[in-house]
Amino acid sequence: MLSVAAPALDARVADRLAGFPTFLRANGFAVGGGDAVQVLRTAERVGVLDPHVLRWSLQALLCGRGDEWRRFPELFDAWFLPANRWQRPERREVSTGVAPGDSPDASAGSSDLADHDDDAAAPRRAASHEAVLGSTDFRALTEREHALDIEALMRRFARQLKPIRLRRQVRARAGRRLDLPATIRRSVASGGTPLHLAWRDRRRVRPRLVLLIDVSRSMALYSFFYLRLARALSAECTDVHSFIFHTGITAVSQALHDPDPWRAQERLHLIAQGWGGGTRIGESLAQFNREHAPRLVHSRTAIVVMSDGYDTGDPQRLSDALAQLRRRARRIVWLNPLCNRPGYAPTCQGMQAALPHLDLLAPGADLASIRAVLPNLIDALK
Amino acid sequence: MTSARAIELAALQQDLARAGYIAEAPLAAALLLMQDLGRPLLLEGDAGVGKTEVAKVLASIRGTRLIRLQCYEGLDAHAAMYEWNYQRQLLAIKLLEHDERGLQQKEQDIFSERYLLKRPLLEAITGDTAPVLLIDEIDRADEAFEAYLLELLSDFQLSIPELGTVHATHRPLVVITSNGTRELSDALRRRCLYQYIDYPDYEKELAIVRKKAPEVAAALAQQIVAFVQGVRRMELQKRPGIAETLDWTAALLRLGISTIDIDGAERIVQTLSALIKTRDDRAAFPREVVARLAATC
Repeated sequence: MLSVAAPALDARVADRLAGFPTFLRANGFAVGGGDAVQVLRTAERVGVLDPHVLRWSLQALLCGRGDEWRRFPELFDAWFLPANRWQRPERREVSTGVAPGDSPDASAGSSDLADHDDDAAAPRRAASHEAVLGSTDFRALTEREHALDIEALMRRFARQLKPIRLRRQVRARAGRRLDLPATIRRSVASGGTPLHLAWRDRRRVRPRLVLLIDVSRSMALYSFFYLRLARALSAECTDVHSFIFHTGITAVSQALHDPDPWRAQERLHLIAQGWGGGTRIGESLAQFNREHAPRLVHSRTAIVVMSDGYDTGDPQRLSDALAQLRRRARRIVWLNPLCNRPGYAPTCQGMQAALPHLDLLAPGADLASIRAVLPNLIDALK
Repeated sequence: MTSARAIELAALQQDLARAGYIAEAPLAAALLLMQDLGRPLLLEGDAGVGKTEVAKVLASIRGTRLIRLQCYEGLDAHAAMYEWNYQRQLLAIKLLEHDERGLQQKEQDIFSERYLLKRPLLEAITGDTAPVLLIDEIDRADEAFEAYLLELLSDFQLSIPELGTVHATHRPLVVITSNGTRELSDALRRRCLYQYIDYPDYEKELAIVRKKAPEVAAALAQQIVAFVQGVRRMELQKRPGIAETLDWTAALLRLGISTIDIDGAERIVQTLSALIKTRDDRAAFPREVVARLAATC
């Protein structure tokens, strides 16, 4: 009999246990090579007779984030309960498809995406297959054309983005206040005479950027361009968070950030359900407020909405959602690709509703227009 | 059949309950494992679900000190690990000016432990007994600080350039909490045990209210919890946590409200400021909504 005191586990049991981390990794968990050893050590400590105790312990050991935490029980059962063993190759692609950096409570109602993830494996695969045939071709995301120009422009943007001065002070090369501890530390070299002074200055940080990209049908011409901008920008600054929206909103930062272009395309495929459909900007922003804004948007956050403002939803809803966002965020900027067409006026309902809450409405249909508007953009984000 | 571990686990749960914390079995299992493996425990969950409380109660049942490091933006190594007491050093330099000893000795004296101010992390690894180290809201600190922390969490040692490396005399029990305002690095997650704490269900919350506010009548406690659970199901900006439930309970007691029903809706509305914390959410609670919620309690 095995128990807490048993020095070694039965070989068969040990095998089964040691295989568990690999099974989890196949299901998208971030577990490493050394974890098998930890699992065995844990099993020796807690014993394997009580399945609940073993499950709780392994759950604490092997999970790293909220979504893993929620999926763990069924995976545990699938691996350790004999009756379900054949279910093994379960939903492999789901884990990478799940929106990155999702808040712990996102599963409660995060867009169509979450619903799809909860479905059984078979129908899900069928649906995504159709979507591939149906429309989006994400190859454009990493197309060579203009890639260098876009990168150069975003680098310029990132560099010119003015840091916000905070109250908190840090050590600085030059400043107005003397950093006494550091000065004394330096004076040691000169026998206690402070020859080299150290300074403190106020800390500066770049604003956090949240990009909300409209990918509805009316934006089909521009949404790829914006996604490429977002990808280039998130390679330049660390604190950039990208979302796409049509009738609901989905986080794409992690997928965009994938250094492997092929994998980035794959991941976007999985999460871009509803791409090129109708638009409900108000609903999407309200969903953003509900699910992402509390943890993402703070007083140094600049929000950039990229949309043409053609909204099939209720304009009042859009206005309310923006007003709410306005109270949380530092700046809201709207890039509208139609803006620099001759004779354009923001008369559509969506833009009318949004206008009072914006710091800047700027055109941005292509590289040239973004380049032209860059100084204004940087000014507005200050 | 119950294994030895299950008995141990039940005992820990009882200890925690005695100390005033209602813990579910998975959390208790993680706390036991944390001591076995010597790993930190990372707690995630919404604000107000009792993450910080875990560390406090752990310290109290283990009978050790709780050392708390509250993280904030711009927290640096000096505020978290150690700092030289430079005012005293300055004084010492002046005093040593006419001292006959060699320069090297003087310097050694100035950078000795006497002039070292221990901040939470250094304090946690140099104490006489193993304390509980609470690193609260790590997501508020910068990524750079996370990297600092990794050295401590993997080897339990700190390097101080002037003194050398300080090894832990005892391994502290480390509890890390995060509200998820920023994604934590995988390296940190890999080194920790993980526990996601959700809002409590009806039974658990009822047990908490009974525990923390024993003066409340059983019937009222049930109504209070049912009402709060109803509020949590609504679409709100800020859902009330356990602390809000307890505040609200106190507010109801104070106003002498002994039952929650439709007739008392007017008075309940007056107490909602303990439960609802934003203006938009407040607007979602006119009298009718409160009455409807109260009717279901």
